[in-house]
Amino acid sequence: MKLDKYPVTVSEGSIVYEFISEGKKGKIAKMIVYSKTNIYNTFNLGFGDKCTNTGEINDTIASNNGDTEKVLTTVAFTLYDFTEKFPGAMVLVSGSTSARTRLYQMAIGKNLCLIEPDFEVFGYAENEWQLFERQYNYEAFLVKRKKY
Amino acid sequence: MKQAKSNKKKTPAIRVDKRLDKYAEMGLFQDKLDKANEFLRKAGLPKFSK
Repeated sequence: MKLDKYPVTVSEGSIVYEFISEGKKGKIAKMIVYSKTNIYNTFNLGFGDKCTNTGEINDTIASNNGDTEKVLTTVAFTLYDFTEKFPGAMVLVSGSTSARTRLYQMAIGKNLCLIEPDFEVFGYAENEWQLFERQYNYEAFLVKRKKY
Repeated sequence: MKQAKSNKKKTPAIRVDKRLDKYAEMGLFQDKLDKANEFLRKAGLPKFSK
């Protein structure tokens, strides 16, 4: 089943992605940045709304544009693209709030059968990484593309 | 049950916008990056199977 997603643009360095969410509150620019962590080839996925007036990025705002699933599918699409361009890269994902982390967890859990053929997925709980399981509550997630 | 399709197909090409490169140097999502580094400091990396 093909999941609906937004068209995406990417920076020349393949670190920054942008797309436009369209919903009940109009058009909202969304930005994703894959930032290097302190560990080699490991990145943090940052995601937030871009204010069209100021250009500022806000990852705590809840835009409530009525298209959460499409937005998350689009974010997942950038993860596929990024990990193709950076083979072996590990990507850490967490929400700016616990509610947002929970949202990501539910999305991963719901689509796990689609994700697992392509990615190893771990959740962070009790100061360690665990193989992702739906019933646990995690603080963060770490994924790595499987070789193909 | 059909197995999910393999990883092998590439994602379709997406448009490059050079104007986005400046955001890579702006230190965005620093709080989340700090949190990520803290997770990694405490737990390191998981043991991947491949």
